[in-house]
Amino acid sequence: MTSRLKRKLGDIGVDPSSARANENFCLIGTPLPPLEKSRDTGEFVPLWKQEVRDEKGRRRLHGAFTGGFSAGYFNTVGSKEGWTPQTFVSSRADRAKKKAARPEDFMDDEDLQDIRDSRKIVDTTDEMDLTTGKQAESQDDTDADPLTATLQSAMLPPSKDSIGARILKKMGWRVGQGIGPRISLKQRRLQDLRASSMTDSALSTNAPDTALEEDSDEANKHTYAPRDTPVLVVERKDNSHGLGYQPGMSLNDSLGTKGGGGPSTAPNISSGSGLGALNDADEDDLDVYDGGSVNTRSRLAYDATDDHDGERFALGNSNLRSASGHNLPSSGKYRDGTAVLSGFVLSGKPIMEDRWRVSWYPLPDIPPGWKPDPKRVWSQIQSQEQIPDSNKENFKGDPTTVLPHGKWKTSGFSTDERGSILGETPLPSAPRSVFDYMSQKDRDRLKNIAASLHSPSTAGISDKQPSPTLGPIPATPRIPRTDPRIAHAALSGFKPFATDPVKQARYTAYLQSQADSSSTVTLEPLPHQSISEFNSEMEEYAQSAIVFKPMSGAMAGRFTTAAVVEHGPKVIEGLHTPEFNDGPSQDNAASSDAENKAKDEKELSPKENAARMGMYGPLTRESVPWQPARLLCKRFGLKDPNPEPKTEDPTTQSSSTSFSQDPSSSASDSALASGTSPADYGIISTTDSGSTGTSTGGPRDLANVGLGDEDDTQGRDTLTYERPSVDVFKAIFASDDEDSSDEEGASGDKNPNAINPNTASVAAVPSSVSSAVLDNQLVGPSIFKPTFVRREARTTTTNADSDKKEQKEKKEKKKEKRKAIASFMDDETGESLNLVVEKPQKKRKKEKVKEKKETRVQSKGSTTMDDDDEMWVEKPAPPSVSASADVKMPTSIASEALRGRKRAVDYL
Amino acid sequence: MAPSRGPLPLARNLHVTLDGHKGPVNVARYAKGSAKYILTGGQDRTVRLWNASLGTEIKVFAAHGYEVLSVAVAHDNAKFASSGGDRSIFVWDVTSGTTTRRLPGHMGKIHVVEFNEDASVLASGSFDSTVRLWDLRAQSRAPIQILEEARDAIQTIHINSTTITTGSVDGYVRAYDLRKGELRSDYIGHPVTAVVPTQDSETLLVTSLDSHIRLIDTTNGKVLNGFTGHTNSSYRCRACFGHSEATVVCGDENGMVWAWDLLDAKLLQPNPPPKVHSKVITWTEHHPSDAGEMITSSADGTCKVWRHPT
Repeated sequence: MTSRLKRKLGDIGVDPSSARANENFCLIGTPLPPLEKSRDTGEFVPLWKQEVRDEKGRRRLHGAFTGGFSAGYFNTVGSKEGWTPQTFVSSRADRAKKKAARPEDFMDDEDLQDIRDSRKIVDTTDEMDLTTGKQAESQDDTDADPLTATLQSAMLPPSKDSIGARILKKMGWRVGQGIGPRISLKQRRLQDLRASSMTDSALSTNAPDTALEEDSDEANKHTYAPRDTPVLVVERKDNSHGLGYQPGMSLNDSLGTKGGGGPSTAPNISSGSGLGALNDADEDDLDVYDGGSVNTRSRLAYDATDDHDGERFALGNSNLRSASGHNLPSSGKYRDGTAVLSGFVLSGKPIMEDRWRVSWYPLPDIPPGWKPDPKRVWSQIQSQEQIPDSNKENFKGDPTTVLPHGKWKTSGFSTDERGSILGETPLPSAPRSVFDYMSQKDRDRLKNIAASLHSPSTAGISDKQPSPTLGPIPATPRIPRTDPRIAHAALSGFKPFATDPVKQARYTAYLQSQADSSSTVTLEPLPHQSISEFNSEMEEYAQSAIVFKPMSGAMAGRFTTAAVVEHGPKVIEGLHTPEFNDGPSQDNAASSDAENKAKDEKELSPKENAARMGMYGPLTRESVPWQPARLLCKRFGLKDPNPEPKTEDPTTQSSSTSFSQDPSSSASDSALASGTSPADYGIISTTDSGSTGTSTGGPRDLANVGLGDEDDTQGRDTLTYERPSVDVFKAIFASDDEDSSDEEGASGDKNPNAINPNTASVAAVPSSVSSAVLDNQLVGPSIFKPTFVRREARTTTTNADSDKKEQKEKKEKKKEKRKAIASFMDDETGESLNLVVEKPQKKRKKEKVKEKKETRVQSKGSTTMDDDDEMWVEKPAPPSVSASADVKMPTSIASEALRGRKRAVDYL
Repeated sequence: MAPSRGPLPLARNLHVTLDGHKGPVNVARYAKGSAKYILTGGQDRTVRLWNASLGTEIKVFAAHGYEVLSVAVAHDNAKFASSGGDRSIFVWDVTSGTTTRRLPGHMGKIHVVEFNEDASVLASGSFDSTVRLWDLRAQSRAPIQILEEARDAIQTIHINSTTITTGSVDGYVRAYDLRKGELRSDYIGHPVTAVVPTQDSETLLVTSLDSHIRLIDTTNGKVLNGFTGHTNSSYRCRACFGHSEATVVCGDENGMVWAWDLLDAKLLQPNPPPKVHSKVITWTEHHPSDAGEMITSSADGTCKVWRHPT
C-alpha cells in the first residue's frame, strides 16, 4: 500500500495497523497486500533508506567505518582473513613454470570484469580474429611446455587470418598469389603488362606482342598462379578537406571533370570500408564521391569475358580495354540502363558546359568596336517570319530539337527572344522611364512645353535632337527633362555612381544642365557610345535623379543615408584594364571622406572634447543607477539603497497593500468620474484617507501606479455598487479592519511583520487541549509533530478551522518554548537566586544543544526504524536531564562560573 | 618661508633605505594604526615587512608565484592582502606569515587590492577590467559582486565607508556609491593610475598618465586644481597628500619627488627637486599621522623612508 494512501487514511483517522483496517474480504483471486508491513517495491524510498546491492545480492556501500565501498567476507574478499594478492615466491624448482606476473593476477573479479568489458568496447573485429584464428590453434598446444610456447610466440607471429583467408588457404591459395584459376605464362605476362600499364599510361599496345615472343618452351609447359591484385592503399585522411578533394584542385577538377589524368584501376572503394580478398566491391563500398569512374566502372575484379576469350585476360576497366585496340563489345551502360552500342565507348567525362563553350572551341575573332546587338538578329528573324510558313516552321523546329537542354540554357535566348521567335505577342515589358507611364498625348504635350521653354538655353543639345514633338526616334540623342528643383536636390544628395567616376561626372553634368536653365553645360555621347546607349544613359540619369534626391525634412530626420550602395560585384567585360581615374573627382571623394572622418570624430566624443578642453564637470560626469549586492550593503553596514520590490516576498505585500491600495485608487478614479452614490463614496473615502496617509511618500506609491489597469476595473465595481448580503458585508468589513490595522502597523516599517498581530490576537484564544497533550508528550519544538493536533482538529470538523489550526500550532510552539525556559528558570531559582541573572543564556545554549541531540536521535531513528511511531518512544526526556546537570553544580555561596568552584573543591 | 604661513616642507632627508628586494619594488604601504611598519611588495615575488624607523627587515612573505603588484593592510594590522601576476589574491596572517585565503577568479593580473574599513570586504581590480568584491567573513570563495563597468584594466581602488572608487586605464574614475545606489563615472581622458581621496572624501586626487595630477570635486566632478611639472606617462605612479592634506606629493618616472601646495598648485621648493631614485618611483605614501615622514618605493629595488631632520 502506498504511503499516500496510508497518509490519507491517517488523515481520516483510520489506524492502518488495526485489525479492522486489514480485514480481508477477498474470496476470489489474490488479496491486496495488507496495509501494514507490506512493501511496495515501486514505492519511493528516501535516499538514506535506499540500499545498493550488487548482482549477487550483496550489500554495497557500507559506511566509511564499516568497510567502505565493498567489504566484508561476503562481499569481495575471497576468504575470512581477507583478500591477499598473489605474492612473489622465489623458488628454483618452479622457475621454468613461473610466468611473469600480470596485472590481472592482482585484480579481483570485478576488475577483471571491467577489463573484459572495456576490451569489448575497444575493438570487436580484432577480438573476432583472435578468437577464431588463434584460440583454435592455441588450444591445440596447451599441452606444450612453456618454453616451446614462448619460442613459438617469439618466432611465429600470431596468425590473424580472417575466416576467408583460412578457407582460401585450405583451397590451396598461398600468400602472395592472386586468386583465380592457374594461368599460362602468356596470360600472366599479359597480366603483368596490364598492371604496369595501369600505372604507366604511356605504354603502347605493341608491348604485349614483343613480350610474348620471348616465351620459352619450358615456361609454357607450366601453369602459374595469377598475380595478386594490388593492395589498395588507402591514404590516411588527416586533413579537414571534404571527401575526394585534394588540395590544389581547381573547381572543375573537384567537380569530377578531370581530364585523363590518372587512369583508375578499379572501382574506387570508399575509404573506411575494408574489403576481404574474396569480397567483391559492393555498391555500398564504392566511393560515391568518385565522379570520374561513375560510367566506366566494372563491378568485377576479373572481367567475365576472359573465360570465353583465352587470349585476353583483362584486368581493369573497359576504357583501357578499348584503348588497347581490341574491338570488343563493351559492357558499358548508359545511366538509364540501356547498353552502349558495340564499338562505342562511354566517355568518362561528363560534358561540362563551361569547357565546351570556353576552351574547346575558341571564340571567333571579334572585330574591334563590335557590340552585341540582339535586335539585329531579331529583325532578321522577323524578316524571316514574313517568308513563307514552311521556312518558319523549320526555324521554329530547329532550336528545340537540335539543342540539348544544357545548350538551351547557355545559348542566350531569353523568354522574350523565344517568344518573338515563336511569334508570340510580346508581354508589356518593364517601363524604362516615367514617360512610359504617360499617354502619348501627354508626352507630346510635355515635350512641346519643354521645347518651347528651353529651346534657347539648351541650344547645344537641342541642335542635335531634331524636334521632340516627333516622338522618340532611337537614332537621335534625347535628353529627358528633370524638374530643376529635383535636379537641384539630387545634386546635393546621394551620388549613385560613386564607383564609376566618369559616369558620376556625367551625371552631375546632366543634373547641372537640368537644374540651371541658363547653364551652358552640354552633354554629348561619348565617342564609343551609340546614340541609343546615350539615350538610355540619360534616362537612367533622370530616373536616378528622382530616386536619389534627398528626402524632405520630415522624412530625412528618420533615415540616414547609407555610405555605399551595394550593387554587387561589378562585372567588367573583357580583359582587365586599369581603369581611368578621374583626378578631380577622386580628390573630391577623398576630401569628402576626410570631412566625414572629422565629423565622425567630432560626434564621437563630446566627453573627450570636454576633457581635452579641461572642462571637467557635468560634461565628463555621468551617473547611472547601480545596484550593490545586498550582502555588500550588509558588509558595509549600509541600508540597501533601492530595495527592489521583487525581493520582498509578494504574498505579504499583496495581502497587506492590495486591500488598502485598491480602494484608494478606485476612490481616485471615482473622484475623477463624477456622479457616484454619496453613501458608498463616503465609506470609501474614509478608508481612503487612512491608507493614503500611510502610503504617501513611500516608494510603494510608485509601484501602485503601475497597477492602474486592475484598479480601473475595481473602481468600476465600486461605482456600480449594490448593497450585498449581510455576511458578505461583514466579511469585507472584518477583513478591512484587520488589514487597515496591519497597514498602520506596517506603515512605519516595511518589513513584513503582518503576521505578528495576527498571532498575537489568536494567542489570546486558549487552546488548553492541545497544550496539555503536548506537555504530556514533552515535545520539543524541533521534533514537534502535528499529528496529534490534527486529530483534535478533526474532531471539530469545520472548514474555516484550517487557518486557526496553523495559528494554533504556532502558538503552541511558542508556548512550548516559553515553558521550557520558564521551567529552567524555576529550577534555578529553586537552587540559587544569584544564578538567575546569568543563567538564561547558558540555559538556552544548553537547550539548543539538547535539541540538536534530539533531532539527531530522531534522524537516526528514522534511518534505522521503519515505523514512525517508534520515534516517539525513542525520545529522551530533555528537561529532567538538563535539570540534573544543573543539580551537579555545588550549592555553595560562590556565584562564579563552574571552573572557579571546581578549583575551590580541589583545594579542599 | 614662515611655518605659520606656508605648508610644512616635505621630508627630504633620507632616514633609511630598505633594500631587501631583489628587483623593482612595486608597492610600499604603511601599516595601520601608528604605522610603525612598512609592507613592500616587489617584482621578486615577495612581500616584506620592515621596521620603518630602524630599517630592519622583519619578515618575508613568500608565496606568490609572480610579481607582487599590490598590498593592502587590514585595519587591525592582523592580516594583509597582496596580489599580483598570479591572478589570485592572497590574504595573509601577519604573525604566522601564512596565507589564510587564496582567492582565485580574476582572469588577468591583479593590479590592486584594498580592504574596506573593517576588513570584511576585499576589493580587487584586475587587468581583466573587473573589480571583484570578496567576502572575508563568509567561507565562500565566490565574490559578492563583480563590477564590470570598466572597459580597461583597473589600476587603483579606494574604499571608504560608503563608496568604492576605482580608477581605470580607460580614463574613468568610477565611484560606486553604495548608499545612493549610484555609479558616478568621471571621464579624465587619460589612464588613471591612482585615486586618493581626502579625509572628508569631498575631493579626489587623481593621478593620470598625462603627467597631470588633478584634484577633483567628488560632488560634481569638476577639477579644482591641477598639478603638473613632473613626468608620468607610462608607469603607475601614485600621488598622495602630504601632512594634513596641505600638499600634494608625487614621485615621478625620473626618480624625483615633487611637492605642490594644495591650494594654489604651486611647486614647492626645491624646483626641480633632486633625483633621489635611479629609476621610476612606483609608490609614494605619506605617513598617516607623523608630519615628517614619508616613503617612496622605486623600480631601482629600494624603498626609502624620508624624514625631517631632527
